Amino acid sequence: MQARSMFGILVMAMFVASAAPDAALAQQKKLVLWTHWDQNPEFNKWYAMKGQEFAKKTGYEVEVVTVPYQGYEAKYLAALMAKNGAPDMFMGMTHQWCGQYDFCDKMPADLAKMYDDNLPKYMADIGKWKGVRYGIPIEHGNFQQMYINVDMFRKAGLNPDQPPMKFTGDWIADMKKLTIADPKGGEPAQVGFAIRSKGAPVGITDKFLPFAHAFGARMLSPDLSKATGYANSPEMVAALTFFGDLVNKDKVASLSFGNPEDAFGQKRAAVIFRESWFYGWVKKNAPDVNFKVYALPCEKTCPGAGALFPWTDLVYKNSPNKQVAWEFMRFISNAKDDMEHHQLQGILPVWTANLESDYVKSRPDYQSTKAMLAQPVPPTYFHPKSNELATAFGEAVVGVLFGKGQPKALLDEAAAKMDRILKD
Amino acid sequence: MHEWYRLVFPKNHLDRRKRAGFLFVLPALLFFGFVYLLPLGQSIMYSFYKIVPGGAREFVGLGRYEKVLTDDTFWAAVGNTVQLVFLSVPVTVVCALAVALGLNRIANLKWRNVWASMYFLPFATSLVAAALVWQWIYEPVYGVLNYALSYLGIPPQRWLQSLTQVKPSIAVVSVWVRIGFDTMIFLAALQAIPEEYYEAARMDGANAWQRLRYVTLPMLNAQIIMVCILELIFNFKVFDQVYATTQGGPGGASQTIIMLLYDTAFKYFRFGDASVMAVFVFVTLMVITLLQWRYLRKPIEY
Amino acid sequence: MSSIAPSTVPVRDVGLTLKQAHWRWMLTLAVACGALFVFFPFFWMAVTSLKTAPEIQRVPLQIAPDHWFNLGNYIEVFKRQPFLRFLLNSTLVASVAAVSSVVVSSLAGFGFAKYHFPGRNVLFLAIVGILMVPFQSVVVPLYVWMNDLGLLDTYAGIVAPDLVSVFGVFLMRQAIEMIPNDYIDAARMDGGSDLRIFFSVILPSVKPAIATLLIIKFMWSWNEFFWPMVITTSPEMKVVTIGLMSFTNMYFIEYNLLTAAAVLSILPILLIFVLLQRWVVQAVVMSGLK
Repeated sequence: MQARSMFGILVMAMFVASAAPDAALAQQKKLVLWTHWDQNPEFNKWYAMKGQEFAKKTGYEVEVVTVPYQGYEAKYLAALMAKNGAPDMFMGMTHQWCGQYDFCDKMPADLAKMYDDNLPKYMADIGKWKGVRYGIPIEHGNFQQMYINVDMFRKAGLNPDQPPMKFTGDWIADMKKLTIADPKGGEPAQVGFAIRSKGAPVGITDKFLPFAHAFGARMLSPDLSKATGYANSPEMVAALTFFGDLVNKDKVASLSFGNPEDAFGQKRAAVIFRESWFYGWVKKNAPDVNFKVYALPCEKTCPGAGALFPWTDLVYKNSPNKQVAWEFMRFISNAKDDMEHHQLQGILPVWTANLESDYVKSRPDYQSTKAMLAQPVPPTYFHPKSNELATAFGEAVVGVLFGKGQPKALLDEAAAKMDRILKD
Repeated sequence: MHEWYRLVFPKNHLDRRKRAGFLFVLPALLFFGFVYLLPLGQSIMYSFYKIVPGGAREFVGLGRYEKVLTDDTFWAAVGNTVQLVFLSVPVTVVCALAVALGLNRIANLKWRNVWASMYFLPFATSLVAAALVWQWIYEPVYGVLNYALSYLGIPPQRWLQSLTQVKPSIAVVSVWVRIGFDTMIFLAALQAIPEEYYEAARMDGANAWQRLRYVTLPMLNAQIIMVCILELIFNFKVFDQVYATTQGGPGGASQTIIMLLYDTAFKYFRFGDASVMAVFVFVTLMVITLLQWRYLRKPIEY
Repeated sequence: MSSIAPSTVPVRDVGLTLKQAHWRWMLTLAVACGALFVFFPFFWMAVTSLKTAPEIQRVPLQIAPDHWFNLGNYIEVFKRQPFLRFLLNSTLVASVAAVSSVVVSSLAGFGFAKYHFPGRNVLFLAIVGILMVPFQSVVVPLYVWMNDLGLLDTYAGIVAPDLVSVFGVFLMRQAIEMIPNDYIDAARMDGGSDLRIFFSVILPSVKPAIATLLIIKFMWSWNEFFWPMVITTSPEMKVVTIGLMSFTNMYFIEYNLLTAAAVLSILPILLIFVLLQRWVVQAVVMSGLK
């Protein structure tokens, strides 16, 4: 009867289920690299490609495992804690995996020196924790730049070749000109600035920081030990007031426009601050948008090339193959490979030597990148608790945007919370 | 203790019967124990530790409990979760019941299967994919919901991006996902109610409403309890839909307990605190389930 | 009225009054409307999967795609990921989970429903309690435990937490409780052992519940994302949900590919559902005529 046959099926299925994939084949020696950069498949494949060459020298191939971004922290943590099944190399933020946890192997001194000599000045600290280098920065263009819609600028009577340079000066004036309000008082048909107002507070903090830095504020003290006095400094209050007014007073940005990328792509917003990957997105999803890239406007100072999420390649401390892993890192640590690697995916290379190459010069963001790199290095917040701190701070920003409170009050609250987090 | 001894060494026929019952339950117990006991124990253990930078663990007794249970963010998340539960669970159960009753009445079997399959389809999709599609439907500017509403003259709403509308919007997604599941359970149970009961009621002059109240609902009592308990548990633990769409926004209005738990464990690296939250969830759900079980259960008279 | 017409229907019920027919029609309409409403997001998903990325971004909204048979997204899905392998993996894992759940849950359901042994309620509560534990807090220790057992990146590892369903135990208990004790006592009189009774009396009587559990557990397991994502690393072992998520990343969501992949992942389930639905109907009809 069916019950018995079900039992039979069950037994058989369990038998099949316990089979591991290709376990019978002789194991090829390999290094395993984990990354969660789903959106850059060519970049990820390149490691395996180089691994083929590397195998000729050392017998070790490189296998790249792409982990979904959603939930990657849990997967990394589980594997790194269990040791078995953990990768030899992985892509993550140094201050988290090497600072909060102790999963990273120190980079050999010679390799570390090579990077110190060859990275642009604003990337000098990326990959380092407490002065020691653990990781190799892999993303160069992850600081925001200003994208403008050329056609919308022209229509508003503005010159797209002369971008606004000061937030409280020509920038806000231009935004107002680019906004087409609704005569009936509803949502505007078109806004000047595509603002990020949805999603996790960390992301919102990330998008607000250029404003904060431009106004001369910083989220934490230089030694990253205190928030009060910094996160709620008068400069920060001024920055957040300006930011909130974009939505609430000047009405050059709207909370009803959903994703800022979509708003820009649909020509409902004329200006967006986004990183260098964005122009690839625009080309693919909104090919009819005519855009130009410029450096961010300044205020008291210039925002500079800052990033909250510095992605680096790291080597697992407990990997049995860590010596070979560093060998592989050495193998690909040269200007030529750096160039090839990043050009394949259409992202900016990391080595200073490559920043004047033909490839970089041909990119639409070449001039703007140069301009931003020439600005002073903005504050960085590479602290193990950066996620939590940025979330607490982001709640104040969101509160102001949604009219839940006044900037000073919300910032005071956020600063107190951040201090509590730091002390815990 | 004496009873357990008798279970292993049965003295008489009755004891043997009891042991048989226990043996039937044993595979399930063994499985759960094997897979979950160790991890559960460790997870509870974590709630008494604090992870310091560097990765080391430090025993702090009830310190983490004190910290978490006095944290405003935590209670805000609890509040959000409770609101979502109140928005989702009654609607789901009542609608599922109504739909099951309606489906049961449909004489044409082919059509009944067609409609039933449609209700069940949301359950067939990955929660994350469904949430993303709904997010897009809810999109203020180019989402189809506002598009449809514009034909009725209603101005575009912000839905997932509004402080006030975000929770009902998420509740709709939750109901949409779960309704088929409950409808199926109710439908299967409805079809097992013997026709004679309805006959007897009809003979007594009961109308449709009375038949519903005095025959159908009592017969479904066990299923209603089960569905209520399960819906409460699942909606209390809501995570995927919210994580994929609003990520707790805007401004923390949709941050649920499990979302906070996930962030605390994996983004803030405070494993001990996350375990405290897990214990809280467990205890709360256990208490509520026990109450539901106790007070809503009515014996079935044959 | 049930669809099975017993021969003992009194004459006065054969002809429906106008009012009754009116209500019946309204009810059917309501159910049908509800079904269409519930179905709408799928329609939307299917339509979107036929659009290109720029089409999706277009404002004002356009319901129909530019080309109705634009299968470009589907081709791209298979190009980017070994999606067929994912479908296979999901099918295997979900099938094992479903069958195993039915077997163990019906055994346990029987034990809880018809036997009174010491600790019965406590044990039942303990099992239901598993559902109350947030999986996210257990995932890391569970992973370490699976690692100790050597089950990382294996089918057994993926399916392990899914082999028994708490819901299944619940459902089976309810269903078996409904079986009149006389049937069981009669079988016992005939000298049947408990196991015999299980196979000959209990299982046949709860066919609708078994079918329900099979379908539900299959779907549930099919749509699992978090655990399979944590436990698998090789591309050959990944399941459909992981494949779906590869079309989202930290910056943006590729709706055109995501919806195409989502449609692909629903088709097998639809198939199973259609097949099993027939069996459910058959089972119910047969039990109704008992």
